[in-house]
Order: sequence, then structure tokens, then C-alpha cells
Amino acid sequence: MSRPTSTPRRLAAASATVALVVGAAACGPKADGGGGTGKDAAPQRGGTLTVLNQNPQDQFDPARLYTSGGGNVPSLVFRTLTTRNRADGAAGTKVVPDLATDTGTPSEGATVWTYHLRDGLTFEDGSPITTADIKYGIERSFAPELSGGAPYLRDWLVGAADYQGPYKDGRTLDSIETPDAKTIVFHLAKPEGDFPYLATQTQFAPVPKAKDTGTKYQDHPVSSGPYQVEKNENDGAHLVLKRNPNWSAATDDQRKAYPDTIDVQSGLDPAVINQRLSAGTGADAAAVTTDTNLGPSELAQVKDDKALAARVGTGHFGYVNYLAFNPKVKPFDNPKVRQAIAYALNRTSVVNAAGGSSLAEAATTYLPAQETFGYTPYDPFPAGATGSPEKAKEALKEAGYPDGLTVTLTHSTDTGKGYGPNLATAVQDGLKAAGITVRLEALDSTRYSKTIHTVGTEPGFFLSGWGADWPSGGPFLAPIFDGRQIVTDGYNFNSAQLDDASVNDEIDRINKITDHAEAAKRWGALDQRIGEQALTVPLFHPVYKRLYGKDVRNIVISDWTGVLDISQVAVK
Amino acid sequence: MAPRETRAGEARAAAPAAGGRQVWRRLLARRTVRAAGLVVVLLVLTAAAAPLLTAVEGQDPTSYHNDLLDSAAGGVPTGSFGGVSAEHWLGVEPGTGRDVFARLVHGARISLLVAVGATLVQVAIGVLLGLAAGLGSRLLDQLIGNTTEVMLALPSLVFAISLMAVVPTDFSRPLLLTLVIGLLGWAGTSRLVRAQTLSLKQLDHVAAARLAGATRWRIARRELLPALAAPVLTYAAVLLPTNVVSEAGLSFLGVGVKPPTSSWGQMLSGATTWFRADPMYVLLPSALLFATVLAFTVLGDAVRTELDPRAASRLRVGTTGGPGGPGTTGEAAA
Amino acid sequence: MIRFLLRKALGLVGVLLAISLVVYAVFYLAPGDPAQLACGEKCSPAQVLQVRERLGLDAPVHLQYAHFLQGIVAGRDFSAGTGLLHCPAPCLGVSYRSGEQVTDMIAARLPVTASLALGAMVIWLVLGVGTGLLSALRRGRLGERLLTALTLAGTAVPVFVIGLVLLIVLCAQLRWLPFPSYTPLTEDPQQWFWGLLLPWFSLALIESAKYARLTRSAVLETLAEDHIRTFRAYGVGERRLVTRHALRGALTPVIALTALDLGTMFGSAVLTESLFGLPGLGKLLVTSVGLIDLPTVVGLTLVTGFCVVLANVVADVLYAVTDRRVVLT
Repeated sequence: MSRPTSTPRRLAAASATVALVVGAAACGPKADGGGGTGKDAAPQRGGTLTVLNQNPQDQFDPARLYTSGGGNVPSLVFRTLTTRNRADGAAGTKVVPDLATDTGTPSEGATVWTYHLRDGLTFEDGSPITTADIKYGIERSFAPELSGGAPYLRDWLVGAADYQGPYKDGRTLDSIETPDAKTIVFHLAKPEGDFPYLATQTQFAPVPKAKDTGTKYQDHPVSSGPYQVEKNENDGAHLVLKRNPNWSAATDDQRKAYPDTIDVQSGLDPAVINQRLSAGTGADAAAVTTDTNLGPSELAQVKDDKALAARVGTGHFGYVNYLAFNPKVKPFDNPKVRQAIAYALNRTSVVNAAGGSSLAEAATTYLPAQETFGYTPYDPFPAGATGSPEKAKEALKEAGYPDGLTVTLTHSTDTGKGYGPNLATAVQDGLKAAGITVRLEALDSTRYSKTIHTVGTEPGFFLSGWGADWPSGGPFLAPIFDGRQIVTDGYNFNSAQLDDASVNDEIDRINKITDHAEAAKRWGALDQRIGEQALTVPLFHPVYKRLYGKDVRNIVISDWTGVLDISQVAVK
Repeated sequence: MAPRETRAGEARAAAPAAGGRQVWRRLLARRTVRAAGLVVVLLVLTAAAAPLLTAVEGQDPTSYHNDLLDSAAGGVPTGSFGGVSAEHWLGVEPGTGRDVFARLVHGARISLLVAVGATLVQVAIGVLLGLAAGLGSRLLDQLIGNTTEVMLALPSLVFAISLMAVVPTDFSRPLLLTLVIGLLGWAGTSRLVRAQTLSLKQLDHVAAARLAGATRWRIARRELLPALAAPVLTYAAVLLPTNVVSEAGLSFLGVGVKPPTSSWGQMLSGATTWFRADPMYVLLPSALLFATVLAFTVLGDAVRTELDPRAASRLRVGTTGGPGGPGTTGEAAA
Repeated sequence: MIRFLLRKALGLVGVLLAISLVVYAVFYLAPGDPAQLACGEKCSPAQVLQVRERLGLDAPVHLQYAHFLQGIVAGRDFSAGTGLLHCPAPCLGVSYRSGEQVTDMIAARLPVTASLALGAMVIWLVLGVGTGLLSALRRGRLGERLLTALTLAGTAVPVFVIGLVLLIVLCAQLRWLPFPSYTPLTEDPQQWFWGLLLPWFSLALIESAKYARLTRSAVLETLAEDHIRTFRAYGVGERRLVTRHALRGALTPVIALTALDLGTMFGSAVLTESLFGLPGLGKLLVTSVGLIDLPTVVGLTLVTGFCVVLANVVADVLYAVTDRRVVLT
């Protein structure tokens, strides 16, 4: 990127003197004349934003993308019926209209949802966006050729369970109605108060049927957002986006779209990403990352280096890492054994294994510590930060193991994902003091995921984690604890295989609530009720800390994604 | 990276080895050899006495020490040089606080054991197949030659990873590592031995033995193996350090030893991100690895000079380099 | 010579067939479900079944292999949803994961790996042969010892350590070099060069010790030969002896070893490519193995295997050309 030798420290900003305002339309930001390049000056249009990531954007078909809130890079190209509010912190967990005029009108007890499109919406080729395009986009996401998206549409829409998309026999989904080009109506099999959140996912992006090329569509998907794909090399290892001339800021109050070009480079080593961002030479001065936390070197450095510390964006994404039990396997059928492990756990070791207290917050609740999920603080087995071997021994004695016991903890060999050997050994060392000897069993990541999610092979005690598909208690608790979501012939996420009628009924009751705050309270109470059964032992909630280049401004980090929103960033 | 093949030497006719005691004496007369030998002996002793050494230090390789870490700074050890103290001679591991000295000396056991074991496997298979190819029928030679070619052409990495995935998890990891590195890396030795065998076959005493009606097995044992000892030993000295590094590469890719066991490779694979915050933690295993490779290289070179009379008599200069020459494959005969 | 090449070509086909069979067998035995992986973790069993059918994974494994061979010879058609995707011969199939043709994926990454391997080759030759010469002629001097230690350190310390340390020191702290990246040569030669300099150097360090040792032993051996002794007796200068005669003796083994190393480099520079984020063949191989993307793995293995076998033939021919004692049969 940076050119060699003579002027390696040259700033990208200095060279790019062509800071012209392109596109005459009344676009987003008001450039209030200043033109200064100081940090406090108002953000300006223009320039190139570089994104340095580990994971390639290897899917770029809106049907195949599995995102929370439409994703960061994808959301620059795909507009959806609703989207996440682009605002800092808790305000950013709200769902707001995008292509639609509002977040949806529920009727018949939240089983029917109706949306109307805004005026003046067009694709990148200038043709108008209609509700038929949205319906078609959803339908094609059911095709086996384009699998990969979230499972909710299949579960929620009437008659969708065995639908195979429009390719095979031209069948359409009758549960999505488009009475006119501006109106779309969804018929759900059961009440779902969270439907507006689901409508933020890329499956709700419009796809013009005439331009659909099946599996090839991802090479150049037709843009409805402020940018369109200019280059997509090596399965998304290098993605270049440029302005979509037919996007109008007048129809989009969420995306700011300051930079002219977005250059996404992925497949990079995390240490290299951090080195590049902290050095900030050349184009890297206008670079960000959306998937790489500060490494240990940078964490140690920001303690003394104020300038570097000012370039760290901190955020929270709803996620929990936990110890999972399979109560069908002895001795974990005994609640006292599970409690003993909860008491014995040394969360300080675990937090250090996860990158230290800057990157992980010790957790005693399953729900992440945010109001939008319904967070209710509780600790059913209080034992302090480093665990209580005494309480654990007590519980073991009651369980009938006065001389301690030996258990096997299954983990993945993949160090990156939070189910790896580092965490496993931290748990192992912590339980030692309570007389619980832990044998470790390591599986490579593909085998691990299959083993722990298959009812027949699920081990008794393993590392797991769960992230939010949207910031609400529902997608956090229901897939894990709803007894009707136990899958016996495929991937199962209800690891404890809990099938408790009172829990199931409460989930149904909350799903009928369309007032988010009201529902959140109930999810929090449910979390506490389940937590007391020690079916899981929460370990920590991760914290995101990401560096950005010194020319990057207008940083917005919502609690929905936890990372800076690319659609808001300016580099001038 | 999985074992990368160093190709074995061109067919050099090696005369029978000189008397063992004489060689020893000559080897020990050199300063560099004595130094390298000392390093190897020390390494082996350290590995053997690992539990004793850690007991003297009063630590063990698996206990966490959270109180010695700065959690907010990512878990970097407090104190200078990675937390060096009277209790922890070489500091503690960042992120866990485990004792670095204890992990290094215990790790030496695994690393050396795997490397030596893998080298033995490679040499055993290589010698056996090389001899068979050199002495057997043309068909057998062809078959072994093709198999060798397939082995060389297969990306060993794919196999290392897949094999590790297929084998049951309760199978001993060090043994598995030994086998995987060993089974994937014999091609070079086999080529070397075949080429040597082909040229040795032409020598008078071998031909005489053949005419006298000795079986192939007997010829291999009595006439060829002694002459092969020198080049094979030298080649093994090159393989050994390569195998130490291979273990590190496999650990880096997540298919190394099982935690909480330590090995140099395991330590290095996690160490790189700490380079700036805790340079000691990267430098220690790197330095040990370097010392091991250097010592074995020097020894290998020296042994070769002593055992290969031609090189020794004609050159009369120190070491002459290992068997670096590429194999003349398949059909070529020297 | 022609007979030799013909036999080699036949052997090549055999070796490639064997490799593809072995890869198929290993992946058949390995646990994990490619259909589930291609579909996504949260796919329902019915969906996984549809995907399995679409990928042709419901057929018995020998039929799958037969289809694969058929694709190489005659090409195949795949469903793209909206229509058929024709994959012309030699078709290595389409990726389970992305649905892209494996030949396209390889073609896109080949320039990266080729740039990396060729550039590294130049450096390891300069560094290795230079160090070897120095150590043959100036044994024991400081410069020689330093260079020898450097090349040995390259072999002893894994590339993920040496590469990262070099990157931190040279790119981040001293800022002498830009951070590594890949720019196609055709796009911007200058950027191509600077972006790859560090990866070249890291990779070359691993190899150069081997070349130093080889060069040294070949040079010393040539210098000890009778005709050189005669030259020396006649008073030919040492420098002239080395450059005119000894180096020539080292040339053959060095070139032959280079061909072999270059061959293996296609597909085994995994750690270098991963560390520096270069989208090459090795990196694709590791990712595809993890995703059980069999068509991609087989395709890559065949290409890398082809390179290795080809390099072997080149080495043989080189020997025969430069050394008349070697006869190709």
C-alpha cells in the first residue's frame, strides 16, 4: 500500500488533494466550509477508507450472508426493509426503518407484518426498487444453491419449511404478499414481536429477478446502497467498493457514506493488522478493522501511549462464552456436580486466557450485560472472581463425591474462537483446587462443531458460546433453552436438551409482546430462572477493542455490532 | 509447515567406515565439535532431568499464577524480563503465569523425543526402501521410485492435518506427531540410500560377494549397511533439526501437542503476538531451537568429514557441508 | 532423451492419479460433513440434504471420483440456480463452499505464489551461494561467520517467528519497508516489488543455509580436483580459479536443487502466505482443508504435485545436460 523508500511517513491525506465533492444530490453531511484536517473538523466527503480484516468477505450474496443487523461491509451495498440505528452505545440497539417507511405494522397478534416502501428508491442501474424485488430476494435465499443465511425465515413464514426457492420449479412463497409495488405483507406461523429485527438481515435486500445469476450473483450483486462492487478478488479477500451514483442520501437517513472508495483487504494475520494500524503509514492512516481486537503488544502499549489510546474504539457485541453441560451424561445429570464446577471456576484465569480484563468481562449471567437483552444481574453460585474451592467441595460432598472426581472437558483446537485450548487449560487449572481433575479432549474445529451439536455425540462438558442475531433476549435464549428447538437429526443448539413446559410457555408469551422494553424485562427474569439450574456456567462477555488510523473520524460504535460503523466513518 | 524435504545427496561412493575409536578420537580433538557435543549432551540431560530441575526451582509447568500478570494490559507478566524472579528463574508465561523455565525443560522432552523418534522412523523406512530399490528387480525399483515421487509431490501439510483429525483423540499425541512427521519425511533418505546402493553395487567386494552366491539380504547386511552408515548418519543430522522445526509448525497450525503439555513448538506458536510486550517469551524457545539446530549441524558436518575418507583425504579442510546435493531421480545413474 | 521424457510424462499421469486417489480416500475417512459446512451451522437437516444432493455428495464415493475424472477429460455442468454453469475440460470441479470453478480459483492465486517463490529464489540463491562461497574461501572470518549464523538461524527458527520479528522491526519500528501486500506485477511493478520484499526475504532465509552448504562443499571439492591443482601450480590466481572453475562445478547441483525447491514451494509456503496475508495457493489449501472443500483440495494438490514432479524432471535433465556422465534412459 504505502509506497516505498523516500517518503514512507507520508500521509495518505496529503497526497489526495482531489477532495472534490462528487454527486450533486443533497448528500448526507453538511460540509461546513472549514476544510481543516484537524481531528475536530467536520467530516468531509472523499478519500479512500481501507479496511484491514482477518476474515475474508467470502460470501457476498445477500441470500447467503449470515449477519447481525445486515453486517458492516454488506450494509454499504444492500439496503434492507429495516436496519440498525447508526448511533453510539445503547441507542444503536434500536431498529429503524431503511427501505421501509416504518419498522412495520403488526396485526393479528403479531403474526402479520406489513411494510410500505419509501419513494424514490432505485438500484445502481437506476431502475426502481419494488416490493417484488424484496420478495424475490427472500425467496431465492431458500434455494439450496444459496444456503447459509439465518434459519428464522424458514421457521417463521407460513409454508416455508419445505420451500426450495424459485429456481427448481418456479414456485413462489404465498406467505409473502405484494399487493402493489410499494407494499409487502408477511404471514407468520406464530406471533413474533421481533420481526422488525429480522428484517434488518441481508435476505431482506431487494434482488432484481432479471439480474439474478444464481451462484454467480455474488460477483456483482446489484446495489441498493451507497456503494457498489467494483472489484471482488479471491473470494472476497480483496473487495473494492465505489460510490453508487444512483443512491440518494435523501432516501437514506442512516448511511453517511463519506469516503469515495472502500478498500477491504482480508486474510491478514491479526498481529500484522494491529502493527499496520498502529504504525499508520501511507494509506493505513485511513484504515480501520472490523474483526481484530488489540493484541497483547498494543494493550501493553496503550497504557502509556495517550496518542495510541485515543485511537482505540471500544464496543460491546452481545455474546457470551460459557461452559455447557449435557445432563444426559453422568456425572453432569447431578445438579450438585454442575454447581460444584460453577463454584470452583476461577474466572480470573479464564478472563486472562481470553485476553485480559480489557477484552473480557467475567460473566455470571447468560444474557450480555446490556439493557436491550433484558440484562438482570444475578449470580446463583457466588464464589468471587477466583472461585471458592470450599463451596465447591461442599457441593461435591453433597453430590456423593467427597474425594473429588475426574471429568472430561471437550474443547476445540482452534485458538481463535473462544473454545480453544487456552480457555480449556484455564478452566482445568481452576478446578484443580476443588479436587476436580479435568481431562482435556481436543477436537479440530469442524469435528468439534459437529460433535457438540449432534445429540448422539454431544459430550458431557464442553466450551461453547452464543452471539446475538439481533439485540434482544429472544434469539439469545430461545435457541438454547426452548425444548421444541431440540433437533435430533441435525445441528442442535439446545445443549442441555432442556424441555421444560413452563420455560417453553414463557417463551411463547414473550414472543407475542411487540413492546421491546417490556419483552426485555421478561427475558431477563427468564434468564435468571434458567441460570439457577446450572445448565451452563457463563464465563465471560467479550469486549471489543479495535484500533483505527489517525485520519479516521466520525467514529460510531453501537452496542448492536460493537465495532465502528463503516457507513459513518470519514477519512477527511 | 509440515516436514519439508531436504533432498539427499548425489550418488557418492562411500568407502567402508574407518575404525570407530579412531573416528571418535579425531572428532573429539576439534573444539567446535566438543562445544556442539556439549550442547547436545546438556539438552538431553536437561530433558531427562526435567522433573528434578523444576522440583529444585519449586515450580511445575501447569500451575497458573494470575497474581503475576497485568490483566488489563492483556495478561503480560508484571516485573522486568517477563517476570523473572527468584521463584521463577526465566519468568512466567504471559496470559497464564505458568513458569517458563518449567515449561521449557519439560518442552525439551517432547521436542527432542518427537524429533529423534521421527528421524528414526524416517531413516528406518528410507534405508529399507532405498536398499530394496537399489537391490531389487527393476519393477520393484520403479514401484518404490513412483511411491517416493508421490510422497514428495503430496503437500505433507494436508496429510498431517487430515491424519491428526482421523486418529482417535486418546491416542498419544507425541507418538502421533512422531509418526506423522516420520511417515511423511522418508523420501529423501530413501533416494540417498538407493543412489548409494547403486554405486556400491559396482564395487569389487560387493560384486565378489554376489558372485560367491550371497543372498541379497546378506549383501545388504554385511556389505552395504556398514558403508551406508556414514552418509545416512550425516543425513540424519540434517533431518533432526528440520523435524524439531516441523513440530513447531504443526503446533502453530493447531495440530501439535495436547494442552497443558508444553513443547518448544507449542511455546513458539503462541509467542509471536507477545513479541513486543514480552520479548523474553519469544526469545527463549527460539534460542533453544537455534542452539539445537546449530549443534546438530556442526556434529553432522564433522561426522561426515570423519567418516568419508575421500572428502577428508582430498580436502583436508574442516567441514565440507552436508549431503546437500539433489538426488538424481529415477533413471539417472552416476 | 525423447524416450525418457515420454516415460516421465506417463509417470506423471500415474503419480497425479495416485495423489488424487489418496486425497479422496483420506477425505472420505476424515470426519466432518462438507454439506453441513457448505450450508451453514444452522441449516435444518432437510436443507443439508438438499445441499448434499446438489453437491453430488449423495453418490457413492467411487462414483464421485469417476465424475471428477470425467470432468478433467470432458468437462462438466453444474447448477448455478438460475441456469447451468459449464465447466470446460480440464475441469477440476467447483468449490463446495463458494461455487466457483476450482481452475479459476487456482488461476487467480497462481501469480501470487509464483511471484513469492521466484522472488524468494533469487534472494536465496544470492544469499546462499554467496555465503557458501565466502565460507569456502574466507573460512573463519567475521563476515563469513555472521552470514553462516544468519542462514542457520533461518533454518532453525520457524518463519512465523522470524517473519513477524522482521515485520515489526523493519516495517513498524524502523519503517524501512512498507507492510507486505500483493499488487499484481502488471498493475504496478514498483509496488509489487516493495510489497513482496519482506516475504521473499523471510522465505529465502529458510532455504539459504542449505544452498550455502551445498555451494561450499561443491566449491571445495572442485578446488581439490587434479586439474585445479595443476592450474594453481601454474600460478593461476585464486580469484580466477574460483570464479572460472570452482563456481562452475557448484552450478549444476545448485540449479537442480533450485528446481526442486521451487517445485515444492508451490503449495507449501503456507505459513509465509498466511503471516503476510498473501492470497496464494498454500493459503487457499489450508483454508480448503479446514472447510473440507474436497474439489479445491484435490485441484490444488494436483497442481502442486504437478509442479514437484515437473521440477524433478527438470533437475534430471539439467544433470544430463551439464554432466555427461549422467545418462537418461
